[in-house]
Amino acid sequence: MNLFALTLVVFILATAVATALFRDILSVIVVFGAYSLGMAILYTFLLAPDVAMTEAAIGAGVTTLLLLLTIARTARPSADQLSERIHMPAVVVVGAFVVLLCTTVLPEMYAVGITETPVWQHPEVTQHYIQQTYNDTGVENAVTAVLAAYRGFDTFGEAVVVFAAGISTLLVLKREVFA
Amino acid sequence: MSDSYDDTYTESQVIMTAVKIIAPFTLTYGLFMTFHGGDAPGGGFQGGTIVGVTVLMIAFAFGIEPTRRWLRNSLLVGLVTGGVVIFGVIGLAMIVLGGDFLEFYQLKEVFHIKPKWGLEAVEIGGIALIVSGVIITLFFAMAAGFTPERPSGTGGHSGRQRPTDREVDDDD
Repeated sequence: MNLFALTLVVFILATAVATALFRDILSVIVVFGAYSLGMAILYTFLLAPDVAMTEAAIGAGVTTLLLLLTIARTARPSADQLSERIHMPAVVVVGAFVVLLCTTVLPEMYAVGITETPVWQHPEVTQHYIQQTYNDTGVENAVTAVLAAYRGFDTFGEAVVVFAAGISTLLVLKREVFA
Repeated sequence: MSDSYDDTYTESQVIMTAVKIIAPFTLTYGLFMTFHGGDAPGGGFQGGTIVGVTVLMIAFAFGIEPTRRWLRNSLLVGLVTGGVVIFGVIGLAMIVLGGDFLEFYQLKEVFHIKPKWGLEAVEIGGIALIVSGVIITLFFAMAAGFTPERPSGTGGHSGRQRPTDREVDDDD
């Protein structure tokens, strides 16, 4: 991982902490949008452009807009101080948990891109999709092929879930029109 | 009648000009991502989101209420339900052609066209329509949901008549 990616990780951590600490909700939303944008760029470093585009469009774009709209419609208390008061016992407990996770889980994780991972114990499975996608479906983007062809029925379920979520929102807000 | 949205919208020449310039590009990029999802990163989900966000951007710049009047309710209903119907019909059509649900090989067997086109049809006609429609719907539902249906009414109480399309158009 090069220097730019490491800088990006530091930026993401900083914006994540700032999201938790800022007292003014508008600042929180703006910083949270920056966090999502940082995550989107990080996903491109991890060679997942499809996920990066989703994160940029949904995480940084739509979520920020919807949250902005929400605070525009609700009362926004004027902030007399910049950050939330830090509750020391909570910091100690959460900090201990994070240290525990870092010391136990992180050393067990595989480095990005190495071939000793369990996934590669059966390379014929992953290689099948990488090698056969074009022959099977005729599209070059294996992610799209898996999404719409190999597991098309799951995607149909997901699409219906999105549809149902939209309908449910209208029901909760007691509206009967879409626009 | 119209004062329920005036408090949040301020007409800004800078934002309106910026959106006027950017909107054609984001719309084109969203459509490109949708139509080209098979051979490039992206697809119906991402492309549909960007197309939906373009409408959200226009609403932010030019006011939510004028944009809502410009977008008819039937259009959004058509987008969202049409997407589900198209997705389902494509899937069922493959059964009719003698395969399994969403088995695009049947296109090759019966019509001698690439199975790719079935996949693209699902991406464009199914996922992209649903996602863009739901995102626009969520935005307008949020924009209207927190204000009372009529200025004197109490928010959640459904009053003398059911809120029809026309009444909501008039009130918020």
